[in-house]
Amino acid sequence: MHELGIATDLLDIAIAEAQKHGGRRITALNLRVGVLRGVVPEHLHFLFGHIAKGTIAEDARLEIEEEPIRIECEVCGPSEAREFTLECPACKMPCLRIEGGDALRVLSLEIDD
Amino acid sequence: MKVDIEREIQQSAEDSARRIRELLAARKVFAVNLISSPGSGKTTLIEAAIDAMRGKKRIAVIEGDIETDIDAARIRKHGVQAHQINTRSSCHIQPFLLLAALDHIDLDKTDLLFVENVGNLVCPAEVPLGEDVRIVALSVTEGDEKPLKYPLVFKTSDLLVITKTDLLPHVKFDPDRVKIAARAVNPGIEIFEISAVTGYGLPAFLRRIETLCDRKNG
Repeated sequence: MHELGIATDLLDIAIAEAQKHGGRRITALNLRVGVLRGVVPEHLHFLFGHIAKGTIAEDARLEIEEEPIRIECEVCGPSEAREFTLECPACKMPCLRIEGGDALRVLSLEIDD
Repeated sequence: MKVDIEREIQQSAEDSARRIRELLAARKVFAVNLISSPGSGKTTLIEAAIDAMRGKKRIAVIEGDIETDIDAARIRKHGVQAHQINTRSSCHIQPFLLLAALDHIDLDKTDLLFVENVGNLVCPAEVPLGEDVRIVALSVTEGDEKPLKYPLVFKTSDLLVITKTDLLPHVKFDPDRVKIAARAVNPGIEIFEISAVTGYGLPAFLRRIETLCDRKNG
């Protein structure tokens, strides 16, 4: 249920930014969320929809772009994965270096003025 | 119209965390954010630190629990300042709650502040509390797959302390598995293995906290 805190912050940011740009209605929010964040998109959609009721964001669509982790394999080189793993997707060897996957960011919003 | 903003979502937490950091810097207080699952031995670690650093560091403790002030009362028996935060429905300490709790601590009489977070490996990992050092504790009874299941907390912590190592003969737990997975996401993480029952590894771990504390406050 940590999605509720995320949804609340997201709504605050979206409304503040929309008002700054003279927006009267928010139609979409574009997010990037890393796979390490453990965010369940269905929960975020549901909770955001619930708390946004009656605000200028009530009809906003959440577009969630997933940020993969980057795996560095000594043999195969870098690759990406959409689930946390220590294995190289190609050779299945355990890898000692995993990067990225921790984004939790609003990239942009779409507004009507 | 599309508006590019590129903003971190937990902005409100960052703002409060910055205020905490500034307040603690002004009062020369070194803060530790201690995170683990419920029952990994966080309170026991703090008790060990209090006893080991008596006369050397003035310790204060802020306890986070969903309900009760059992832990704060337990800490006060050691003769140090302690304040309990009850988060009720929230599964972690939020920075604004910590900021309010700091009013109950005499920071001018504090060198080292332990903030014991609510037992949880998910949400506390996401929330900055303005701490100088984040420590994640993992007990051997929880299993060695925790860093694979909850990678973010291992990625965002400075120290990992594996607790209850006296129970290793009785459980299936490979410390190396934990170390490899934790270092894969966080190559700089410092790892300690301790037992509060036998005292194994405890002096080295506590000395490290003292050194980090001295480094901040001279």
